[in-house]
Amino acid sequence: MKSLLFFPLVFALGCSTLAVAEDAVPPAAATPKDKPVPELQKGSVVRVNSTNQQYDFFRPWNKKAPFNRRGIGAVIDGNEVVVAAELVANSNFIELEKPESGERTSAQVVAIDHETNLALLRPNEERFLQTLQPLGTNSTVKVGDQLSVIQLEANGTPVSTQALVTSAEVGRYVLEDCSYLLFKMSCPLQYRENSFTLPIVKDHQLAAILLRYDPRSQTVEAISGPVIQHFLREAKNTAYRGFPRIGVQFSSMRDAVLRRYVKLPDAAGGVFVDAVQRNSPAAKAGILPGDILLAIDGKAIDPDGNYIHPIFGKLSVTHLTTTELYCGQRTNVTVFRNGEQKDIPVELFRQPPESYIVDPYVIDRAPRYLVLGGLVFQELSRQYLREWGTNWAKEAPQRFVYYDRFQSELFPEPRKIVFLSQVIPTADTVGYEQLNYLIVNRVNGREIRNLDDLAQAIRTPQNGFQKIEFNEDPRAIYLDAGQAESTAKQLQALYALPALQRL
Amino acid sequence: MIRCTVFFALAIAASAVAETSKPDIHKSLVRITTTSQDPDYRVPWNPGNITVGIGAGFVIDGNRILTNAHVVSNGRLIVVEKENDPKEYIGKVEFIGSDCDLAVVKVQDSNFYKGTAPVHFGGLPTVQSLVDVFGYPIGGSRLSVTHGIVSRVDFQNYTYSGVDQHLAVQIDAAINPGNSGGPVLQDGKVVGVAFQGYTGDVAQNTGYMIPTPVIQRFLKDISTGRYNRYVDLSISYFKLLNTAERHALGLPDDNIGVVVSSVEKDGSCAGKLQEGDVMLSIDNHPIASDGNVRLDGDNLDLAEVVERKFKGDKVKIGILRNQQPLTVEVELQPNNSYLLQANLHEENPRFVLFGGLVFQPLSRNFMEAYQPDELRVRYYYDFYITDELYEQHPEVIVLSNVLADPVNAYVSDFRFQIVDEINGQKIKHLSDVAHAFAASADQYVIKFLGSSRPAVLEKHAVEAAQQRIKRNYNVSIEQNLGQERL
Repeated sequence: MKSLLFFPLVFALGCSTLAVAEDAVPPAAATPKDKPVPELQKGSVVRVNSTNQQYDFFRPWNKKAPFNRRGIGAVIDGNEVVVAAELVANSNFIELEKPESGERTSAQVVAIDHETNLALLRPNEERFLQTLQPLGTNSTVKVGDQLSVIQLEANGTPVSTQALVTSAEVGRYVLEDCSYLLFKMSCPLQYRENSFTLPIVKDHQLAAILLRYDPRSQTVEAISGPVIQHFLREAKNTAYRGFPRIGVQFSSMRDAVLRRYVKLPDAAGGVFVDAVQRNSPAAKAGILPGDILLAIDGKAIDPDGNYIHPIFGKLSVTHLTTTELYCGQRTNVTVFRNGEQKDIPVELFRQPPESYIVDPYVIDRAPRYLVLGGLVFQELSRQYLREWGTNWAKEAPQRFVYYDRFQSELFPEPRKIVFLSQVIPTADTVGYEQLNYLIVNRVNGREIRNLDDLAQAIRTPQNGFQKIEFNEDPRAIYLDAGQAESTAKQLQALYALPALQRL
Repeated sequence: MIRCTVFFALAIAASAVAETSKPDIHKSLVRITTTSQDPDYRVPWNPGNITVGIGAGFVIDGNRILTNAHVVSNGRLIVVEKENDPKEYIGKVEFIGSDCDLAVVKVQDSNFYKGTAPVHFGGLPTVQSLVDVFGYPIGGSRLSVTHGIVSRVDFQNYTYSGVDQHLAVQIDAAINPGNSGGPVLQDGKVVGVAFQGYTGDVAQNTGYMIPTPVIQRFLKDISTGRYNRYVDLSISYFKLLNTAERHALGLPDDNIGVVVSSVEKDGSCAGKLQEGDVMLSIDNHPIASDGNVRLDGDNLDLAEVVERKFKGDKVKIGILRNQQPLTVEVELQPNNSYLLQANLHEENPRFVLFGGLVFQPLSRNFMEAYQPDELRVRYYYDFYITDELYEQHPEVIVLSNVLADPVNAYVSDFRFQIVDEINGQKIKHLSDVAHAFAASADQYVIKFLGSSRPAVLEKHAVEAAQQRIKRNYNVSIEQNLGQERL
């Protein structure tokens, strides 16, 4: 029996070899568990082929080799198709294909949310989906329900495999720190091509979307119906606002000694606020580290951070604050502070990745850079750190990893971290060849808080020199400003750089 | 169980040995068998495993034996044997230098020195000249000789401390475990002490010896009655190879000078040198733009000038500050803060145990023993000097372990966090932890860096638990405050 790892793993943020493997291996025969899909569901899915190309953060002027991803999208009301965002992340071209007829059309992304890993596509040919039956959405699935995972045979015939929902809990989706309601299912799924992501249905309603599959334990992890529903509802807004994040990091209050220390009655639940994210809804509302969260939106929180959900029972309060509530809503947070209970109104919103000091991800966006006389300057992002591979937290420069992890604690003011990532050797950079990963503090005496500051600062050289100061050795280096300017064209031609900056 | 290991050694079938060196060295060479006890930083109260190792040494003037520090490190019993004498003599370490991997051992029994002859020291051998290496490779009981040429004279890491770089001579004889501390001879004179090498996986025929400038320095340093360690400028500099940078600093294209990039706040040059100063000369030796000076016909790192000096000695540095020439005189001191990243020897792990919580100061031994994933601890270790973390934390105290017991059931989350304060007292040394827990209080509130949630222990509960924890975990002592180095 083939045991193929044909779905992306947690960390594989786009791996072209996986996509190749999908197409290279022929589909296996159906198992007895597979059964024909009811007529109604036949015309509710489309193949989605996406050609994606990621930026190369080590050579920010380049894109890496393009690769294909093929999955199955669910057709929904409004002439649209829902897929996992990873399928179409950094896409150059998206194509929809009707499984029965093989008809194709190009498509575009209407809304994409990398945090919940969901994307909404619309065919460029308006009437393309008219012959298909849209799926409704289901958010009432619970543990113990039987769902169907939809795959397509090579000839376009849909096949469904039974999946038993074994747990519904908040768990990590794709990106670090992005956890939402996750369904785990027991399901003996077979390898078939086009299976990068698959719709999971119940009674002709979209109930989940496959996130990853472990062929050894035959376990499916899936984006849950409530998260899909939130996404689709939000996508109807003219400006997509995403899923709110309240911005608190909390820990258990089970320790009776700690409860006595903060004078919290044993009967109350509550969790301890360890940290409050800078500029987050919680920070703006005045929630403080050291507060005990007792309830949110009138729902009591137990010492482990759970509340009682009407369908799922005990569930992390993260589900409440990210998925049950929407951006723009105002909710009430009950805290225990200095021996008193206090209600704090909190206005919910999402902080876009670019609002962080170190962007948690840079997807569908080009990295910014500036090349000055062979010195390459970039803004620090976790996407850059991910270039060190799955073990980036240990492999990447530790100062960067430290700044990323503790950014809220280390940098009270909004800023970006500009650094010298590498030196492209030229006659102007003799003696500087070994320099890399150095954080820029000042250029020509001007404080550098982002790459635009740097672009501005180099316009005013001091006594004909560009002086660049770093926060560690060698502290300062100089370039001849006139020389760097006059050799810029040569440098660009010699190393065939498409542009010397992208701001 | 006692394991027998053999210290680093040079060994190859002996080829032609210089006739002049053969008879003398028999009177000087000794075989040293050390029974040592190496502590386990994960179980800091345990006395450590007992191991036995074999190395070499040789008699020097004053009825002393010179060997490597790592041959006698953490020694509990040191047995010294001579060629052609069946008796085993007991040796005692008189001086040990962690930073230069040298030690002086004395044998009390005066009979030992009968028939021995102290060696004579030579100078720094030239590249391509021939040397003979003597010792007991792979633990053999008979003298072994190898022969090789001097391949390179350069600064090398001394692996015993792990952080020190001194002059070392590379020779092309293969290194095998077993005769560290053995003499290297040229023309009948000792020109070095064999001390480290590479395994065959990394490189072949590369052995290293400690040359006489380092040996002489050690012997002179201990003549004061104690070992004061190497002194250090405690600065970092950047080579001035870039033309634009030279011009910006007002320097001509004469390949002279390096720029000071940082000055350690508690080092020798604090208050004397500044970031941005251009160093032009050191004790009147011109400094080339790659940081080298010409010494005894060799191009060596400018640090070598300081390497030959002692605590309290002065060095004159010619600088250019704001384009004005200036001469500063610096009184040299050993550097302390880098010891955080140095291997610790000759001491038992320092710790405080309270309510099952084990507190230990951050050190290289700590990092190697635990290999913590915790990012903040790794950052404090890696950037302790660069980011001047020593200012706030002369010692970085880490909750290294939680010996599980009902009293600390919810504290294990804090493992590998750095202690910030206990009951409002800032923790800067291990002794601060001991004092904070010795103070009378109903409860002990331990705060960690970066976390607003404290760990809280109640005094009455700890009192009830302390004996139970010690018994269950076989803890013999509750704390070892030892000596603060930093």
